[in-house]
Amino acid sequence: MANGIAADGRTSGPGRHPSARKSDNWFKWLLVAPAAVLILAISIYPLLFSVWVLFVNYDFQIPGHAYVGLKNFTQVITDPVARYSLWVTVVLSTINVVLEFLLGLAMAMAMANTFRGRGVLISILIVPLFISPIIVGQVWVLMLHSPFGPTNYLLGLLLGQEVNIRWLTAFPWNFVALVLADMWQWTPFMFVILLAGLTSIPPHVYEAAELDGVGRWQTFWYITVPYIAPMMLLAVTFRLLDAIRLFDTIFIMTGGGPGTSTYSASYYLYTIGFTQFHLSRATAGAWIFMILTLLVVFFLVRRLLRAEVR
Amino acid sequence: MNDREKRDFQAGLEADVDAFLRGEPTRRTFIKRFGQAMGMLPIAGGMLGSGVQWALAQAKMELEDPNTPLGKAQALALKASSEGPADGSAFRAVEAAKQFAGVNLNMTYEAGLQGLDPRNFSGPLWEQLTGIKSTVVELPSPDMYSKPIAEHIAQSGAYDILDLQPQWTPALADGGVIAPLDDYIAKYMNMADLEDYHPLYKALPTYKGKIWGFFDDGDMFALYYRKDIFEDPKLNEAYQAKFNKKLEVPKTWEDYAQVAQFITDQMAPNVYGAGHFRKAGSPGNQFDFMQQFRSNGGMFFDDGMKASIANDIGVKTLNNMIAANKASIPGNEELDAVSLWVAWLQGKIAMMYSWPPTGRMSAGYSQSDKAISFIPQSSIAGKVGYAIVPGGNPEHAFGFNKALAADSANPEAAYLFMQWACSPPVSLARCMLPYALRDPYRISHFKSELYGQLFPSAPEYLANLNASANVGLLDPIMPGAQDYQLSLDRMCTSVWAGTDPMEALKTAAAEWDATTENLGVDAQKGFYQEFLKLPGATAANTVEKLGMAVKL
Repeated sequence: MANGIAADGRTSGPGRHPSARKSDNWFKWLLVAPAAVLILAISIYPLLFSVWVLFVNYDFQIPGHAYVGLKNFTQVITDPVARYSLWVTVVLSTINVVLEFLLGLAMAMAMANTFRGRGVLISILIVPLFISPIIVGQVWVLMLHSPFGPTNYLLGLLLGQEVNIRWLTAFPWNFVALVLADMWQWTPFMFVILLAGLTSIPPHVYEAAELDGVGRWQTFWYITVPYIAPMMLLAVTFRLLDAIRLFDTIFIMTGGGPGTSTYSASYYLYTIGFTQFHLSRATAGAWIFMILTLLVVFFLVRRLLRAEVR
Repeated sequence: MNDREKRDFQAGLEADVDAFLRGEPTRRTFIKRFGQAMGMLPIAGGMLGSGVQWALAQAKMELEDPNTPLGKAQALALKASSEGPADGSAFRAVEAAKQFAGVNLNMTYEAGLQGLDPRNFSGPLWEQLTGIKSTVVELPSPDMYSKPIAEHIAQSGAYDILDLQPQWTPALADGGVIAPLDDYIAKYMNMADLEDYHPLYKALPTYKGKIWGFFDDGDMFALYYRKDIFEDPKLNEAYQAKFNKKLEVPKTWEDYAQVAQFITDQMAPNVYGAGHFRKAGSPGNQFDFMQQFRSNGGMFFDDGMKASIANDIGVKTLNNMIAANKASIPGNEELDAVSLWVAWLQGKIAMMYSWPPTGRMSAGYSQSDKAISFIPQSSIAGKVGYAIVPGGNPEHAFGFNKALAADSANPEAAYLFMQWACSPPVSLARCMLPYALRDPYRISHFKSELYGQLFPSAPEYLANLNASANVGLLDPIMPGAQDYQLSLDRMCTSVWAGTDPMEALKTAAAEWDATTENLGVDAQKGFYQEFLKLPGATAANTVEKLGMAVKL
């Protein structure tokens, strides 16, 4: 095999025939080509196309694609519904992630120790993760529908008086309904990741703390939290990135209403893009939203990487 | 179970699933049907999966018993298509279409029951007559607008024939999604058939002097009320004592709310005075606002094309609607049209205004077909009266035009199907199908003796639909119609949630002005002025007030 002579007699090293080397080079690119073409077709081209759409009129009801400068951006920025939907996105995603984190952590703590039936219980608890958000929304519509859903009836039994809460059509109950549905589906996500973190803490650390007479709260604060901090950050990062795209449950449960009170940024973009077909405005809104999201992502990923280094 | 029964069963199951997901009281039926479906899977021979079997089933047509009114209407449609008269639009379309035998037409229909007509009747019959196949593409209502646009932008040629709301015509015509029919009409149609349209509907597909489709569904709102309740002597006595006037079917919106509240006070929880479909996106809110606002004398825009809804008339309209909500069945604000039908057919509501299928369902005619079994059997058959809605100006809400997709690879064949399906004899048979949800729109439909034999009160039902069309109002037909109506729906739902009516009206007016400015004030002004020329554009401009009322 010296000097690049292969077992079958062909050269493979620097001494190979130039045409064979050229052929190898082409073959490399040929192998990569399908993936490259696919990425270009479904990702890069639409992205570049959207940049063009940003600066022209691409509104279905206005003929032609005239250059409009920054008008699409100003229309979104000056639209009160757009600003409000951004606010709703921030509020809902923050509340959802905080509550899901706290509940998921509590559940993980409760499940950290082994007990009979733990495996079955964990399996049941994570079932909501496998259900489509559309179905989750529909189930909650059935549960909360006023007056036909069981929630008001059960609350009435509990409180001993008639309950007539319009969960889906009155503020602030429509927000409560959306948070409930989101928590039901996504708390198990936090739970699973945090449980993985908790079970990775070496037992001898806790044993040493117990021997030293460290209290439960101090154990949690000074041992558990530092150990699982990277996992916490990971869980919050992933969940937050998903939460700010909130669309499905809003679409099914409230339709953005009453009025525009439960419009999230995604729902707003969907409405102007695919209900009203103001495509250039929707594209401008999507870019604004993407840039804002990137800022959050950048911050969170930096924190995550820093935590990993430690 | 034969193919037809399988299709109907499947349609019924899908409808049950939808109804179940909406939270309607059909859980038991749903569970039963779901169990049946699961049980059938091993023995059904691929009922759910076989595309070939499905395609074959689509090509099989079944006609009703020729002794029934529907069977007779179908036989007449078949005769007019195959034997003539030779100058009839149906016959001409069939003869001309035979040259396209083997072609396949893709046609959009609203998902659910609407698609059963082309699947079970008109599609197979057309194929039998011409050799032209058809594929029904079912779309949810909002997608009937957005999908054709998306496919046009992609230039996919996915559709040949589009079922579209008339209000979308300007946007889709200007956008190049649909093609004008004038040349084809001149070549193939018997022009007398155009005169058979009720005057309210005749001009609906016309835009910029061209014809962009054939009107095909008379979606006129009408008031349906329980005669037995209004004739109840004790109630009449109590009403007389309380208001010092007779209990009558209300003629104004104020009376409507008052009568509804009275019945609710007297009869709830067994019966409530009224019910409405007020759920966001349902889409009852905008139609109800538009009919009441114009009935109260309102105009949508002023001379400068500024929205003129945020005024006393707007407030009065919303206050009337709020009063009606308070007098209605619990959950009124969360009901959609189908949920409301369920409550109505179960006898829980004394008055409702809605689309024409309400009358056929009330009489129990629609439920004679398995496909519509997700709607409960009527417990009020024979007890229902028909009237023009309070205020005297009902909304023609939605409706459908059949339009030719500009990207169709077979435009002439597609046109010929449209001409045939909308011709007087074929359209009558289609409107009479119990499950199809196509509502009478031709003068010959309103006068049809066969239709009048469908159920005992059918002649009064037809007379009321015709009378309603004489004084009916059209949805605004102009670019931006979608946006204007979305704003109204948002406005109404925010008012139901407690927002001050004037504040909500101002928000909606601002959104309307933004839409107008975006589309161009002068251009929109021109479109609005054109719309105002149509019979039914305003309460002062109805078919009746223009002296064109149809008398049966």
